[in-house]
Amino acid sequence: MSGWQSALRAGKVQVGLGLLIILLLVALLAPVLAPHDPREQDILNTLTPPAWDAEGSAEYPMGTDSLGRCILSQVIYGSRTALTVAFAAATGSMLLGCLLALVAGYLGGKTDWLVTRMVDLWMSFPPVVLSLLLMVGLGTGVRNVVLAIVLVDWTRFCRVVRSDVIVTRRRDYVTAARLLGFSHLRTIIREILPAAAPLMITMFSLEMGIAVIVEATLSFVGLSVGADVPAWGVMIADGRGYVHQAPWAMIAPMIAIFAAILAFNLLGDGLRSALDPRLRTSRI
Amino acid sequence: MLRLVLEVVGRRLLTALPMIVLVSIVVFVILRAIPVDPVAMLLPPGATAEDAAALRAAFGLDLPLPVQYWIWLKHAAMGDLGQSIFFRESVGGLLARAFPATMELSLVSLALALVFSVPGGLLCYAQNTRLGRMLADLGIVTSLSVPSFLWAIFFILLVGVAFPILPFTGRISGDTMLPNITGFLLIDLLITGRLHDWGDAALHLLLPSLSLALSFAPSVIRVLRSSLMDAAHDDYVTYARQRGVGEGRVLVHHMFRNAALPTITLIGVQFGFLFGGTLLVELIFSFPGLGNLMVQAVRNHDMPLIQGAALVFCIVVLLTNAFVDALYVVLNPRLARRA
Repeated sequence: MSGWQSALRAGKVQVGLGLLIILLLVALLAPVLAPHDPREQDILNTLTPPAWDAEGSAEYPMGTDSLGRCILSQVIYGSRTALTVAFAAATGSMLLGCLLALVAGYLGGKTDWLVTRMVDLWMSFPPVVLSLLLMVGLGTGVRNVVLAIVLVDWTRFCRVVRSDVIVTRRRDYVTAARLLGFSHLRTIIREILPAAAPLMITMFSLEMGIAVIVEATLSFVGLSVGADVPAWGVMIADGRGYVHQAPWAMIAPMIAIFAAILAFNLLGDGLRSALDPRLRTSRI
Repeated sequence: MLRLVLEVVGRRLLTALPMIVLVSIVVFVILRAIPVDPVAMLLPPGATAEDAAALRAAFGLDLPLPVQYWIWLKHAAMGDLGQSIFFRESVGGLLARAFPATMELSLVSLALALVFSVPGGLLCYAQNTRLGRMLADLGIVTSLSVPSFLWAIFFILLVGVAFPILPFTGRISGDTMLPNITGFLLIDLLITGRLHDWGDAALHLLLPSLSLALSFAPSVIRVLRSSLMDAAHDDYVTYARQRGVGEGRVLVHHMFRNAALPTITLIGVQFGFLFGGTLLVELIFSFPGLGNLMVQAVRNHDMPLIQGAALVFCIVVLLTNAFVDALYVVLNPRLARRA
């Protein structure tokens, strides 16, 4: 377990975890922290500048958008959407991708051929294009955003974990396990899965960052969560419409998106080098 | 050499063809799962159910799915991708007009990304103090966390609104008449000798391509740096140093040439991200390319157009992969000699 201990001591992991904990707290405590209901419209106070501006008011610390909704409250509640999507989508793609990778890498032969061709087929879509297509087919809503990301990004896990499994499968201790009479399932779960775990955890963290990007991208196009769910991408898309009157409206959601991705990337990157030094040269 | 390259490209194109057919099936199946009835938007308010059924039959939407696909494939094979429901124009024509803009944007972005990442990778590798390495590492992780659309909005706020220096909408100012020879504006304007307009078009291209390049460069820098680190312990590097070759020359003439190969592979694999990234960047900068067209098609539930645009995106990715494979053979003498 010394790998995990050294991982926790790595600076990047600590900063990443710290940022992530702050984000989680913001999301959990949103009703306490947010000064307003994010959907509440104050028609008399539309496009109010932030509090530090001469015309700003303390009631709306980050100002209001074109419908008079409090920007700070929207950003705070938006973290719930972002983190939910990030966590659910990364979990889903990890499960689907790793399941296929384990089956393909362990069984080899035709199964492996089929899975590899599937990955090739999926990889010929630019990820944004495929997720957009899926959203058209599935319709909007948080659950469908998660589903779309899972259906696009399982290939990332599958590709990397599969090649890892193929290497592990040929090791002596796996052969020994089979000779001892372990079943295929037990060999996979007890011998092969633990070897791939550090890689999976690293990729899980990076995938959460990617999910935040995809969710924001889809929100921007207007094909993501429903209209009344606060989301950072939607805020930026709205803000672009009145960029000349209220340029400040986009700054808070931009910082939020950047901070979330940075947290996941720092964590993933730190874990990668701490848990598996070989991976420093890998290209994911 | 040329024969070899043609062979590699030919082999890849042969595998790409069934892939394109498969991609089109995937697109077709996904789009037919759509909850919205595309016909409903075209009917006048007082239309009856019979009117809707008639219109559906006119579009062939009442046929079974495999039959619909077969009809589409037969037409597509002859270059007819159907009619856009919203624009009432041939899909092929719309795509042909938008495609060069997107291609121009992605190629310029790729070139810019290389301009940043080759010196960037060498610089990050050359850090030999603890502080320098840490800063390089931190810089890479931080810049990896800024997706292209955030750069785009950031540039609009900075040099479009706060300091209005650069244009940030469209491909060119006002309603300048555009020559249409290749569709690549920078080439067309140069051929026709309209240097003033050329400068204008280049300025319009600057912010979108910079946004894409800045989000693409960090991953290239990272691979280049780690490939250089791998190369640092190879025998040929030690040998070159022992011969008394200077450190700078070892880095550029010996190590970089070898480290370039994995970097090219990465660029090939990641080109899909760059090319797909144009979608949102085009939308933000109102750049009249494929991405903008596709978003419009998505908003209007214009299925033939969505289908055509998605297919063009995939074909470009598949062709890029074939091209990168060929490039790899040209640049790697070991592969070239073996074949």
